[in-house]
Amino acid sequence: MIPEIAWKNVWRNKTRSLIVIAAVAIGVFAGIFTMAAINSSVVQRIDAAVNEELSHIQINNKDFRASGDIQNLIPDYSLIKTVLDSTPGVESVTGRIIVRGIASTSAKSTGVQITGIDTAAERHIFTLYRKLIPGTGTYFGSDTKFNTVFIGEKLAKELNIIRFILTDESMDILRKRGTPETVLSKLDSLKNIRFTSEKKFSKAFESLLTASETRKYGLGIKEAGWSYREGSKIILTFLDMNNVQTGAVFRVCGIYRTNNDMFEAQSVFVPTGELRKLTGIPEGSYHRVIVRLSNNDLTDKVTPVIRNELPGYEVLSWKEIQPDLAMLADMAQQIYGVFMAIILAALAFGIVNTMLMSVLERTRELGMLAAIGMNRRKTFLMIMLESVFLSFVGGIAGMAMGAAAIAATARNGINLVKYSEGMEAFGFSAHLFPTIDAKFFFITALLIILTGILSSIYPARKALKLNPVEALRRE
Amino acid sequence: MKVVEINNVTKIYHDTAVEVRAVNGVSLIFEKGDFAVIVGPSGSGKTTLLNLIGGLDQPTSGEILIAGHRLSELKPSELIDFRMEHVGFVFQSFNLIPVLTAAENVGFIMSLQKWPKERRKARTDELLDSVGLSERHNSRPSQLSGGQQQRVAVARALAAHPEFILADEPTANLDTKSAETLLDIMEKLNSEEEMTFIFSTHDARVVKRARRVITLEDGKIVSDEIRE
Repeated sequence: MIPEIAWKNVWRNKTRSLIVIAAVAIGVFAGIFTMAAINSSVVQRIDAAVNEELSHIQINNKDFRASGDIQNLIPDYSLIKTVLDSTPGVESVTGRIIVRGIASTSAKSTGVQITGIDTAAERHIFTLYRKLIPGTGTYFGSDTKFNTVFIGEKLAKELNIIRFILTDESMDILRKRGTPETVLSKLDSLKNIRFTSEKKFSKAFESLLTASETRKYGLGIKEAGWSYREGSKIILTFLDMNNVQTGAVFRVCGIYRTNNDMFEAQSVFVPTGELRKLTGIPEGSYHRVIVRLSNNDLTDKVTPVIRNELPGYEVLSWKEIQPDLAMLADMAQQIYGVFMAIILAALAFGIVNTMLMSVLERTRELGMLAAIGMNRRKTFLMIMLESVFLSFVGGIAGMAMGAAAIAATARNGINLVKYSEGMEAFGFSAHLFPTIDAKFFFITALLIILTGILSSIYPARKALKLNPVEALRRE
Repeated sequence: MKVVEINNVTKIYHDTAVEVRAVNGVSLIFEKGDFAVIVGPSGSGKTTLLNLIGGLDQPTSGEILIAGHRLSELKPSELIDFRMEHVGFVFQSFNLIPVLTAAENVGFIMSLQKWPKERRKARTDELLDSVGLSERHNSRPSQLSGGQQQRVAVARALAAHPEFILADEPTANLDTKSAETLLDIMEKLNSEEEMTFIFSTHDARVVKRARRVITLEDGKIVSDEIRE
C-alpha cells in the first residue's frame, strides 16, 4: 500500500508536480538529444575512419611506419594472407604499397601519400569507392592508356583541377532550386568566367550579393558553379626502390568526397600494378596488409591473436593507429555520464524543494501516520517513492521525447553546414544523424532513479524528525 | 480485566525557565469495556494523559502498563509497533489520509500489519457496515461530511482489534446530529464488542453518555466517578 499512497501523493498538487515533471522531462530530453548528436558525430567519425581510411587491423613491416622507407616491405604477403584467412573473425585481406611523393599540375604541387591498391579487393574492405562524386569518373573502371589515380576533392581543389564557373546550365540549376531572379541577375556579370579556386569564386559573388543573400544562397551558388573536366591529369613524382626520383602522368579516374579534409588532401590511390611498375617493388611484396573483420567489436579480441601469429610484424588495431579516435569513443560515454549527472543534479534541487514543501504541508498527517503505527522505515520509503515517482515520470517523458526526436532526425539528419569547414577540418561530418545506444537509456533511467532517491533524503529526514504529538497539534 | 494501568505518572514540561507539571502523580486503572471520559478545563492535562496512555509521549516518572507491556521499557521503534498493534486513535480533526478512499483508510493499518487481502477486505466491509458507511467504500474523505469522516476514523481505529481506543475530542468538530450518531456507534461497539473507549473531551454530550468520568485539574485527578 505504501507505493500506492506515494503515487497518489504525487498527484495531490497536480500543478506543482507537473511543473517538476516537466522540468525533469525537458532536462532529460535535452541531455539525451544533445548526447545523441555528439555521439553521432563520434560514431560517424569512427565509422568513416574504419570504413574509408584504416579498416580494423593493419600489419606493417616493423620499420615502415617510423621510416616511411620504400625498402621496408613485407616480402611474404601470401604467407601472411594464409595465416589471416584461417584466423576466425577475419573477413577480407588486401595488401597496399605506400610511397610518399608530390602531386602536381601546371598550376600547383603538393605533398601526398600515394597508395597502390588492389582495386577489386579494396571494394570488400573500404567504402571509399562509394564516395565518388558523380560526374568525376568511374573509380578505376574505364580502360585508358594512361595510369589512373583516384583523388580527394580537397586535393583536386588545391591542384586547381576543380574550378568554378557559372554557365547557363548552372544558372538554370539555381533557378530550379528557387534562387530569386534578383540574385540571378546580380550573378549575370560572372557568367562564363572561370575561377581557379573556391576562394576566388566566393569572393567574386559575395561582392555582388548582400550579406543575407550570401548566407542564404552562397552554398547553392558554389555547388552550381563547381566544375570539373573529366579525365584531368596530374603528375605524381616519387622515389623508386633505388632511391631514384621517378614519376608519371596519371589521369584522374574519379574524385572522392569525405568529411575529412586532411585525408582528402593527402591520400591518392593508384592500382598496385602501375605503382609496382614505376617503383620496381617486386611482385608479392607490400608495405602494409589491411585486415577487415566481420565485426568492429572483434577488433580488441582478434588483434592480439594476429599479433601472436605474426611475431615479426607490427600488428595494429585502428584504435592503436588513431588512439585519439578510441579515446573519443570512450570519452563520449564518460561525457554522457557527467553531462547527465550535471543536468540531474540541477534538477534535484527542484525535486528537493517540491518534496520539502510536500512534507511540510503534511506535517499533521505524517504525525497521525506515526501515531497510528507507520514506522520510520515505511515513512522514509513513502517519501522516497514519491520523489522517485516524480523524477521517473519526468525522466520517462524526457526519454520518450528524446527517442522521438532522435527518430525524427535520424532519416534526414541535422545539417550543420554552417560549421562544415571547421568540423571537416577535424574529420567530423557536418551532417549529423543523432544516434544513441539503448544502454544510454538504461543508464539514464538508473541516474534518474538515483536522483529521486538522493533528492528524497533531506525531506524524508525532516519527516522522520517530526514528533507525532507536536505534529498532530499543528494546524 | 485490566486494559490500562497507570501508576503514579508525572509528566513535566520545561517551557523556557518554567517547569510545567502537565500530569502530576496520576494513578488509574481502565478495565475492559470501560466507556470513560477524561474531563477538565483547558490545560488540565487531559490530552497529555491521553498521549501518555497511547505511547505517543513518555512520562517523566511513574509507569504505564498496557497488555503486559511496560511502556517505559519500549524503544521508540517498538513503541510505534506497539501503538499499531494495541491502540486505536480517533483524533479531533479526523486525520484521514486524503488520497485514500474510506475503505483504504480503514484497511491502512491492516495493510501495515500485512493482513492478507481477503481478510482485510472482509474486516473493512464489516467495519464500514458497523459505522453505517457501507455505501461509501469508495468515497474520498473530501467527499464525506465531518461526521462521516469521523466514523471512518472510528472504523480505522478498530480495524486491527486494538486493546482500547483513545479518542481526543472526537465530537469537537461535529454538529449535534453527527455527534449523536457517532456516540451511538461508539456506545454500540462498546456494549456489543466490549471495546474500551477512553475519551478526552469538553463536550457535555459525550460526558452525559460516559459510564465513568475522570476529572483532571492542574494535572491531578480531582474525581473519578463511575456511573451505573
